[in-house]
Amino acid sequence: MVGFFIKRFIGLIFVLLGVTFITFILGINAPGDPIKNLLGNHYNHDAWVRLRHIYGLDLPWYQQYFNYVTQLLRFNFGNSYYFQEVPVIDVLKPGIPVSAELGLWGLVLTFVIGVPVGILSALKANTWIDTSAMSASLILYSLPSFVLAVFFQVAVVQLDRLTKSHWPIANWGNAWQYTPTDLTYKIGPILVFAAVGFAFIARLTRTTMLEILRQDYVRTARAKGLKEQTVNYRHAFRNALIPLVTVFGTSLATLVGGVFFIEVIFNIPGIGQIAINAIGNRDYTVIQATGVIFAIAVVMGNLVADLLYSVVDPRIKVE
Amino acid sequence: MDTKDTNTNAASSSISPEPIRGADLTSLPTNFEPESETATGIALATVPAAQDTPDVKKEKVTTPFQDSLKRLRRDRRAMVSLSIIILFIIIPIIGPFIYQHVGGQLLDGLSGKQISPATYHSPFIQRLDHQDEGPSAVNWLGTDSIGRDTLARLMQGMLISLFVALAVEVVNVTLGILIGVSAGFFGGWVDQFLARFTDIMFAFPGLLFVILVAGIFGQSLDGPLSNVPILGANGNARLLVVSIALAFVGWPLMARFVRGQTLQLKEQQFIEAARTSGTSNARIIRSHIIPNLFNIVVVAATLDIANTVIGEAGLSFLGLGVSTPGSSIGLMINDAQGLTDVHPIEVLIPAITLTIIVLAFSFLGDGLRDAFDPRAKD
Repeated sequence: MVGFFIKRFIGLIFVLLGVTFITFILGINAPGDPIKNLLGNHYNHDAWVRLRHIYGLDLPWYQQYFNYVTQLLRFNFGNSYYFQEVPVIDVLKPGIPVSAELGLWGLVLTFVIGVPVGILSALKANTWIDTSAMSASLILYSLPSFVLAVFFQVAVVQLDRLTKSHWPIANWGNAWQYTPTDLTYKIGPILVFAAVGFAFIARLTRTTMLEILRQDYVRTARAKGLKEQTVNYRHAFRNALIPLVTVFGTSLATLVGGVFFIEVIFNIPGIGQIAINAIGNRDYTVIQATGVIFAIAVVMGNLVADLLYSVVDPRIKVE
Repeated sequence: MDTKDTNTNAASSSISPEPIRGADLTSLPTNFEPESETATGIALATVPAAQDTPDVKKEKVTTPFQDSLKRLRRDRRAMVSLSIIILFIIIPIIGPFIYQHVGGQLLDGLSGKQISPATYHSPFIQRLDHQDEGPSAVNWLGTDSIGRDTLARLMQGMLISLFVALAVEVVNVTLGILIGVSAGFFGGWVDQFLARFTDIMFAFPGLLFVILVAGIFGQSLDGPLSNVPILGANGNARLLVVSIALAFVGWPLMARFVRGQTLQLKEQQFIEAARTSGTSNARIIRSHIIPNLFNIVVVAATLDIANTVIGEAGLSFLGLGVSTPGSSIGLMINDAQGLTDVHPIEVLIPAITLTIIVLAFSFLGDGLRDAFDPRAKD
C-alpha cells in the first residue's frame, strides 16, 4: 500500500514537472518582449538590461524554470502582459467562482444523470428504453459541446417564440445564487456542459452493470430467493459503482476541456472566457496560467480518483 | 485428399453461407487491400486445397480480412455512414466547380453590373444588398450576415475539415506506428519516453494544449504563414498551426494502441517462427508486425478523424483557427452565433453538417471495430 502511494507520488511529481515545463516553454517562446512591453515609451537599452536582470530574464533557462516553479508554488503566476502590473491571479480571480460553480454542477450532473440512466438501461437491456437511451447518449457523447449548445439555443428560441416566455440563451446570473432568475440562466448551460460527461457515464454504467448482473454471486443472490430489487440494488448496483471512481478523473478532464466552449457560447464570465479574451489581447502570461491551472486540476483529479479507487476496491493494493 | 476436400467444402459453406449477398455488395472491397492479408491465418491452409477441385473453386475461400469486410457490409449503420462520408468527400471537392457554373447572369444591385455565378456563388464575395437571406433559387442555402453564399462557404469549410483531418491523420498514423512499434518491439528508452510523454500530454484535457499553442503563437505566425502559397492564403494561415498542434496532441494515443498491439503480436508463434528461421528484426517488423496493425490503426484513425474535425471546428469557433475571409464550419457557427434568435438557419446549417460528419465517422469507426475486432465489443 505504502509502495503504491510512493510510486503514485513520484509519478505525480514527474507529470507536474512535465506540465509546468511545457507551459514554461510556451511562455518564454511567446512572441514579443515582455520588458519592452513593460517599458513602453520609456524604452532605452540601459533600463531594458536592468529590468531584464530584475525579472531574472537574463538567467539561463533552467534557472528561469526553477524560479517559475517556485513562484507557481506560491500561486504567483506573474504579472499580466496586457493589464500591466496587475498580477495574473487578479485577472483570473473574478472568473474563478463562476467556473468553479459551472464545474461543480457539471460534475454533479454527470453522475446524477449518468448513473441512473445507465442502471435503467442495463436493467431494461434490449428494450426500447435501453435502445433509445443508449442511442441518445451515443449521439451526445460524439458531439462537441458547442454544437450541442447551438442546438439548445435554437430550441430555446423557438420555444420562447411559441410560449411567449423569455428564457435566456446566454449570460450567467450571479455566481452561487439560486433565485428563479439565476436558475433560468444556469440550468441550460450546465445541462449542455454535463451532456458529454453523463452520456459517457451512462454507457459505462450500463456496460459494468450488465457485466455484474452476469456474475455468479448475483445468480446466487437470486437463487436464494432475494427480491429482485434487493439483488439489483444491494448486490449489483454497489459493485457497479466501483469502476465509476476511476473515470472521475476522465470526467473532470472532459469538463475542464469543455469550459472554453461553453463559456464562450453562453457568454459566461468564467476563467475560460477570460483566457479566450486574453488570447485576443495577446496576454500571454494569463493564457499560460490558465493552461497550468487546468492541467494541474486534471492531474490532481486523477490522483484523487486513483487514491479513492484503492480505498473502494481493496484488490488494487495487491498489484 | 478426398477427406480434406470435403472438409474445406463443409467448413467454408458453414462459415460463409454462400456468396448470396455478394451480388450487390462486391462493388468496392476485394481489391481494396492486396495480397498482404492472404498470408495470414487459415486462408493459407485452405487455398491450395480449394484449387484442387473445380467444384470448390466457385465458392470463394475467404481470408479473415474478407470476413471482416463482410461483417462490415452487413452493418447497416456503418455502411450508411460510409456512403455519407464518401458523399461529403465528393461534395466539397467537385461541388464548388459545379455550383459556380449553375445559374445565369444576375444584375448586381450595388454595382449595377451583370455578375455570373462564379461571383455570386463564391465563398468570399460579399453582396451587401443580400444579407441574411433564406434559401432561394440563387443562393441555395441562403446568405450569411454579410451577403456571402452559405452553400459555397459550407463547401469551403468542409474542404478545410477534410484537409485538416487528412493532414493530421497522416502525421498521427506515421508517428504512431513508428514510435508505437519501436516502443512495443524494442521496449527500452523509446517505451519509457512514450509512457512519460503520454502521461504529460493527457494532463492537458481536450483541446487545452491546442488552444494554448494556437493562442500564443497563432497571431504572430499569421504574417509569415499567410505567404505560404495556396495553404496559407485566404485566412487559412493559422490552420497550419492548428493542424500541427492537433497532430502533436493526437499521436501519443495512436502510439499507445500500436504499442499494445505490437506487444501482443511479439509473443505470437509466427513471430517466434520467423525469428527462429533467422529473420532480421527489420524484416519482422516490416512484413509481420506492420501488416497486422492494419485493423487497429484503421479503427483508431477513423475514430480520431471525428476528434480532429471537432478540434479544427472548435478552434475556428473560438477564433483561433481559420479567420475571415476563409471559411470553416466552426467559423460559420461563430459568425452566425449572435443571430440564433432571428436567423437560426445560419447557425443550424454548419452545426448540422458538423453533426453529420462527426456522427458518420464515429459510427463508421464503431462499425469497423466490431467488424475487424469482434472481441472488443462491449
